[in-house]
Amino acid sequence: MFESVQQLASGFTIATTFYNLFYCLIGAIVGTLIGVLPGIGPIAGIALLIPATFGLHPTSAIIMLAGIYYGAMYGGSTTSILLNVPGETASVITCIDGYQMAQKGRAGPALAICAIGSFIAGTIGLFGLVFLAPPLAEAALAFGPPEYFSLMVFGFIVLSNVTGTSLTKSLMMAIVGLIIGTIGLDPVTGDARFTFGSVSFLGGIEFVAVAIGLFGIAEVLTNVEKPLEMLEQRVIVPRLRELYPSLQDLKKSITPILRGTGIGFGVGLVPGPAPVIATYSSYMIERKISKHPEEFGKGAIEGVAGPESANNSASQSAFIPLFVLGIPFAPPTAILLGALLIHGVTPGPLLISQHPELFWGVIASMYIGNFILLILNLPFVPLFANILRIPKKILLPLIILFCITGQYTVNNSVFDIGIMLLFGALGFLMRKWAYEGAPLLLALVLGPRLEVAFRQSLMISHGDFGFFINRPISMVFLLATVLFLVIPLIRMTLKKQRRGEVKQ
Amino acid sequence: MMKRFFTILFVLSLIMVMPIHAVGFPTKEVQVIIPWAAGGATDLIFRALAATTGKYLGKAVVIVNRPGGGSAVGYTEGAKAKPDGYMLTSGVTPLTILPHQVTTAYTYKDFDPIINVVSDPSMFLIRADAPWKTLKEFLDFAKKNPEMITVGNSGAGGGVHLVALAFEKAAGVKFNHIPFSGGGPSVTAILGGHINAVSVSPPEGISHVQAGKLKILALFAEKRLEMFPNVLTVKEQGIDFAMGMWRGLVTPKGTPPDVIKKLHDAFKQGMDDPVFKKNAMDMAVNLSYLGPEAFGKLMAREDEFFGKLIKEIKK
Repeated sequence: MFESVQQLASGFTIATTFYNLFYCLIGAIVGTLIGVLPGIGPIAGIALLIPATFGLHPTSAIIMLAGIYYGAMYGGSTTSILLNVPGETASVITCIDGYQMAQKGRAGPALAICAIGSFIAGTIGLFGLVFLAPPLAEAALAFGPPEYFSLMVFGFIVLSNVTGTSLTKSLMMAIVGLIIGTIGLDPVTGDARFTFGSVSFLGGIEFVAVAIGLFGIAEVLTNVEKPLEMLEQRVIVPRLRELYPSLQDLKKSITPILRGTGIGFGVGLVPGPAPVIATYSSYMIERKISKHPEEFGKGAIEGVAGPESANNSASQSAFIPLFVLGIPFAPPTAILLGALLIHGVTPGPLLISQHPELFWGVIASMYIGNFILLILNLPFVPLFANILRIPKKILLPLIILFCITGQYTVNNSVFDIGIMLLFGALGFLMRKWAYEGAPLLLALVLGPRLEVAFRQSLMISHGDFGFFINRPISMVFLLATVLFLVIPLIRMTLKKQRRGEVKQ
Repeated sequence: MMKRFFTILFVLSLIMVMPIHAVGFPTKEVQVIIPWAAGGATDLIFRALAATTGKYLGKAVVIVNRPGGGSAVGYTEGAKAKPDGYMLTSGVTPLTILPHQVTTAYTYKDFDPIINVVSDPSMFLIRADAPWKTLKEFLDFAKKNPEMITVGNSGAGGGVHLVALAFEKAAGVKFNHIPFSGGGPSVTAILGGHINAVSVSPPEGISHVQAGKLKILALFAEKRLEMFPNVLTVKEQGIDFAMGMWRGLVTPKGTPPDVIKKLHDAFKQGMDDPVFKKNAMDMAVNLSYLGPEAFGKLMAREDEFFGKLIKEIKK
């Protein structure tokens, strides 16, 4: 422990040299911009800037590239809140209450609480990274195919009703998501499924296209249907002193931020869809334990603060498997792994002992970077909030333009734009009949991974389903899932019985 | 205020949609499709090579992971790409394997060879605390318990999967093969103890062997590795078997020869760069340069070999 503190101190000496501070700042600014623009995510951003780091010292290079990664996590929520356009998986949930807050003229507090929540989560996450990295990396390895499968089942069942509307409708949407997730090549045998002979379908349906369609495009279509006078209107413009969160907002947000940080940090260690599970779980928990759950979906600040913090601390703990094991669990850390190689640093279990200056320097710079991002983001809040001064008749076509160009930059694929528009139309109809987009997106992310884990498990166990119950971690998740499904039924029966008794 | 906002928005949207017309190659970054998830051998090697090649090419080389279908997704996309030299694919052994196993939309003939970069022996890794101390103990156990030992691979029909299939035939045993979506996930699974052994090829898992977490159970090479001189090859242990992976770069058929030459020259320089050489050494990969013509011949030879082998295995 003492040794960690000492090394962290030496890390700060490295991170606070002029050059490293400079690269940290550049990374934070570029990351924020990348996060704000829909489409271009942290992966593309880092990949594009790797060549710019060729001449740098490895530590400076990683400091800058890591800055882009967590900077994008800060900025990612901006379009979700202002325009209902989720730029990446992690900011889908922020659309729900963040956009509603903006519609009520509270875009400022929503944006500011994202920055504050991210800062707190980032700070706590770093302490976790410093003191718990090696044991946590070992713990992450305990997740094999059966554990992974049970976690996915748990996430799928529990989180599909994230917004708390109709359970039946949510499960229906989740099943639609599962079906869409099967499009593409079979992950085990490599056979083409539901591609109708088209090459474009082989790689599956792009998540970002579905997300932008269901949220951004559908929102525009819903607005277009309203009477003409309404389109002349603007969103309620906030007064200056309402741009930042009130004391009451902060009070309401602090425990969701702390809970979100904890959830995000734990979930971030699981390979794959960590940002989705972390943000959905945080939202679900805040809604469940809230004293006023009816406000969720209508602009509850807790529904923004919790998930945004969860997202940020998940992106911090994603560094643990990378630094401790040399294995990237998520695409952005995979790009960073490439960046390490470029600078002659071989990632693996020996990285921390062989390159302590790099590990501790980067950790310290992440702390500084978080602070820079907070200072950088708060002044931007009024600027971004002012976008909503634009009358809707001008803003709406601009959103469509933004969505299309943003989507195109992801894969340079016109096919994906088509998918996005198709899901925009579908999302419009779903809104009419009150079906939620969030469960569909959840299932689209979890489905393919669930399938692979299920088939791997059964291959290992020679078709024995007992495998899922015999493993403790796996059993806990399955048990929790069953309880989640059964408890409401028992409650309902008890209520009915009681009512029956009263009648008698 | 609003006017300025629109100006910014307009400029931004222009930047985002600006079409780029080729005048002299390359005018924009060159993409390399890796048909596996990030963190596997091919991914690691080409990320390192992409980094050093960028400065010789004048434009960045960007790695794009397109995992799925045991590499079929990535290769299909690579084969259908425009043959303009901006969308390359990593041409690795499975390119000459998978088309013999399932119906694919491509064969190696749909690509033009650019350069071969590495050529490596395959190996089985087990956990350092595994119950088997030697290859003989492992195989004895496998003989008594057919299909009980789980052997992970980086994808059904992929190179290391076929190595495992061919090896069980040579050794007269049966394993239970578990596919993962790349070398990264399969190494994670053995580290966590979820499978008994894993079929890999360097650099996958090498850093964990150095750290003492994993050990090399069987080395399918003609000669021992420089990095681990004490590890015997399986040939030395009486099983006549050696198999490996080659990894190079290919481009869709019909790419102009001068573009191929430019790409080849830049990647060759990237290979000779001291930074890449050091990376390759640290990853324990064996650099093996081949020019377009020789690489094309290698692919044709391998395609014939695997075609025969797969027919035999399926019998």
